[in-house]
Amino acid sequence: MQQPVKTLERATAAPDKSGVMRGLSSKIRVPVGSEVYNRVVETLYDEAASLDERRFDDWVAMLSQDLVYTAPLRLTRTGPNRDRDVVRTTSHFDDTYASILQRTGRLTKSAWAEDPPSRTRRFVTNIRVGEREAAGEYEVVSYLLVKRSRGENPHTEEVSAERRDVWREVQGEYKLARREIIVDQSTILMSNFAIFF
Amino acid sequence: MLQKSTLTLRDGTSIDDLIDVDMHEVSLRTMSDPELYHHEMERIFAKTWLLLGHETEIPKSGDFIVRDMGEDQVIVARDREGAIHVSLNVCPHRGMKVCTGEAGNTQVHRCIYHGWAFRPNGDFIGAPIEREQMHGAMRPKEELGLKKARVQLYGGMIFATWNIEGPSFDEFLGDFKFYLDQLFCRTDGGLELLGPPQRYTIPANWKTASEQSACDGFHTLTLHRSLMEGGIMGATADTIYDMAPGMYGVDVSCHEGHSLRCIPAATTFKMFSDISFDGKTTEERLRLLPPPGITQDLIPQLMKNLSPEQVEMLATTPPQVGGLFPNSSIIFIFAPRMDGGASGALALHTYNPKGPDAFEFVNYIFAERDAPEDVKRDMLQNAIQQTGTSGVIEQDDADTWPAISRNAHGAVGKTITLKYQALTGDRKPEGWAGGGFVYDGFTKDDTQWNWWLNYRRLMASGL
Ligand code: FES
Ligand SMILES: [Fe+2]
Repeated sequence: MQQPVKTLERATAAPDKSGVMRGLSSKIRVPVGSEVYNRVVETLYDEAASLDERRFDDWVAMLSQDLVYTAPLRLTRTGPNRDRDVVRTTSHFDDTYASILQRTGRLTKSAWAEDPPSRTRRFVTNIRVGEREAAGEYEVVSYLLVKRSRGENPHTEEVSAERRDVWREVQGEYKLARREIIVDQSTILMSNFAIFF
Repeated sequence: MLQKSTLTLRDGTSIDDLIDVDMHEVSLRTMSDPELYHHEMERIFAKTWLLLGHETEIPKSGDFIVRDMGEDQVIVARDREGAIHVSLNVCPHRGMKVCTGEAGNTQVHRCIYHGWAFRPNGDFIGAPIEREQMHGAMRPKEELGLKKARVQLYGGMIFATWNIEGPSFDEFLGDFKFYLDQLFCRTDGGLELLGPPQRYTIPANWKTASEQSACDGFHTLTLHRSLMEGGIMGATADTIYDMAPGMYGVDVSCHEGHSLRCIPAATTFKMFSDISFDGKTTEERLRLLPPPGITQDLIPQLMKNLSPEQVEMLATTPPQVGGLFPNSSIIFIFAPRMDGGASGALALHTYNPKGPDAFEFVNYIFAERDAPEDVKRDMLQNAIQQTGTSGVIEQDDADTWPAISRNAHGAVGKTITLKYQALTGDRKPEGWAGGGFVYDGFTKDDTQWNWWLNYRRLMASGL
């Protein structure tokens, strides 16, 4: 016994709302080994270290106040739609500079998810950099592997992802203005995202 | 309810040894025992009604999603007439998965192994090379369809059960329809799912999360204290236990094991606490503080779709969190934003068993379909920041449940009992219009104990 069918054409959960994976979209490549490239790589390494060492104030100092920080879902598709597996309606993260501050602020309180803290290791590779239209803005795509050890549990949780960032040069430093963390798993094998990517 | 049990494990332990009805204690062994788990799959997950998703996920003819009923994967599909069907995702030929994706659209589900094909309703179309009749001559085509479950829509939510002759969906809801209508059947357009669900794996027994969802309000004071230390709930780090924010209200549950916490609207958050409801009509109260997810424009629809008693409850003590037996959780909460954007977060979870020591956390996020787009956008963000994968509320739970399951492995640890002995007692506030068991006062263990009683009933009877 079912209810009458309503018009559902606008439904945002419809499977065909998913999109394809796109890496670097900029046409103006910043070559490997150039000064800008090297400084971007250094910034990504410094950022990974600040998160692995739980220096959240240092990390927040690298974020731009107009930050948009998201993590799409992946949805397994087949046939003609098999490559449209990135979902940007719902997501695992949907954050701004203000909400990131709330998250890092919480971590200084009784946030048992990270007290005791995870021991993490962020491996950043396959870094590609392109120029954006706005001067001093760079599109930065990188691969990320995060290993996360909790308590005395010998099992290490991990997440692999591609990150699509926008970094903006502000007074000689790069600030993160946009990050999309495209995780590879449709069902995440990590019991929470109480850490940053 | 307390009939003699018929379930006995191989070592002679009976369900009565595991669940001590007189003492209100449950053996910790239940939180990881493999043998018990296999009985649960048969006696609970293959028998009772389970939540599989929302009709807005499959809006068009041929749309389908793949979901779980216990460890059985099913295809949830819409046919040409618009009806929704749930069929086992197991090919009756040689056992391959028929759908290998998680979602899509097709009028013909063709198994990639030998090509047997099925309609969205599960009916067998045929095998390739029709002239050779590759489905054989022993069974007619009518017998070669996918195994079909019994389906019921409620408030757009899709429920199914393998128990074709078993209790009706109304019987499954028991006295809870009165309360659940206030959340799921209150507007003309109903709820809309805002995207596919988040899915992630927790290395813990499914019951650790499910029994908590049966209204363990008490744990929030300690496990979730980081959310109160900031002061938005009217207490500070030093006064959480003195002020006990959010602890007083009316918990409700029923024989079928569902439960909800109806928390007085104006006492939930400090920022609402100077709102006085004295002398105000129901409509005035709704206008002052609409329930989570409801905008001013939608208030007239509440009056239209609900009874005056339901609207009254929604205006003063809206149901906010709770659980549907066996493995679903309801989070319809106030989630005030600092930037003045729309508050409210509406989410449903299912905890799908993946062996005795793991479950998949599936998080569905909703808004009212007729809410403005900016409200939907804010509510989606609220729900993602509060619940699910990265949600600051559920991060802490996700770390607690696995520890409980691991403790249940110890030869000694598994003999420890879980205690449900702090009781409020069935006590209705004056003029309370809802049915079921009603616990007015501080949130205690009553509703969770009812969850275990229903668990015991199903495990013992196998019905
Ligand atoms: S197993 Fe599906 S067609 Fe053979
Ligand atoms: Fe919790």
